[in-house]
Amino acid sequence: MSEHDVERTDETLERRARAVFDASVGQLDAATTARLRAARHAAVSELRSPRPLAWQRWSLPVAMAASAALVGVLLWRAPAESPEPVAGPVPVAAMDAIEMVADDDLEMVTEELEFYAWIEQADPAGNSGGQG
Amino acid sequence: MTGPATLEALMLEPTADAPGPRGEELSLDSAETLDRFLAGVERGAFRIAQMALRDRDEALDAVQDAMLHLARRYADRPSAEWRPLFHRILYNGIRDRQRRRSVRARLFGAFPGSHDRDESEGDPLERIAGGGPDPARQLMNDEAMQRLEVALAALPARQQEAFALRCLQGLDVAETAAAMGCSEGSVKTHYFRALQSLRTALGEVY
Repeated sequence: MSEHDVERTDETLERRARAVFDASVGQLDAATTARLRAARHAAVSELRSPRPLAWQRWSLPVAMAASAALVGVLLWRAPAESPEPVAGPVPVAAMDAIEMVADDDLEMVTEELEFYAWIEQADPAGNSGGQG
Repeated sequence: MTGPATLEALMLEPTADAPGPRGEELSLDSAETLDRFLAGVERGAFRIAQMALRDRDEALDAVQDAMLHLARRYADRPSAEWRPLFHRILYNGIRDRQRRRSVRARLFGAFPGSHDRDESEGDPLERIAGGGPDPARQLMNDEAMQRLEVALAALPARQQEAFALRCLQGLDVAETAAAMGCSEGSVKTHYFRALQSLRTALGEVY
């Protein structure tokens, strides 16, 4: 088979394959097309539903990471400042301070969660106005 | 046209945080544009997925997932980029399902009730009564399509992909490269080899 014949065969094959494929697409049954339509509507409706702003989505993990880092630093620094083990009230005071900081952070995180939940309930249309 | 490397970067960096129309709301125009785009590709995408997965429900799920993924993460991209992005997402989903299926098959073996062939092609009577081509012509098309599916299934995955995207879906070389995540040269090679094999398998009947 010459190169020209091969090219012609390939073109015929491509054209025929495309035609057969298009025909099979055109013959999809009603149930399948209905499901495809429903899937499309679901996808497009995603665009119309409100989404949390970027800072809202990132603030919680960032706050948690910051809290963890803070607690870690405090734990790491506490023994460094008192190289020899000291019995008595000093370590207890340090632990109290850590607990207070940690509690404050957790409280802040909880408050933020409640705040976002309130925003969603108060404004289901998504007009939170966060970006002015 | 977006090159594969660029598309790779786009997919690795979804634009959910980027400023632009996607923020809290997308304009009605954008939603309508996306709706039109998806309406234009959904049937072909379904048939491609069905050919690859040989299961109607799995194919529908793959298309639905690809639509949702595109809408959620890439809707704010220029609409010209949607086609390769959509097919890239679709093929990723198809490959995931094929992998899961092969793992399942390895784990559970071939149970008598298991099937890898599509058993729910829809109601054939409905298809015939649907005002389509005459039954004889439809039968010929069905047979030709079946031969094509068998011949395609015998090809390596990348060749199948290249042929489906280039020939059946009508993507150009650059779009196909972007959708497949490879160079345009690789697309040409895969496509050429696919054509060679299909010529041998279908040359006489096509």
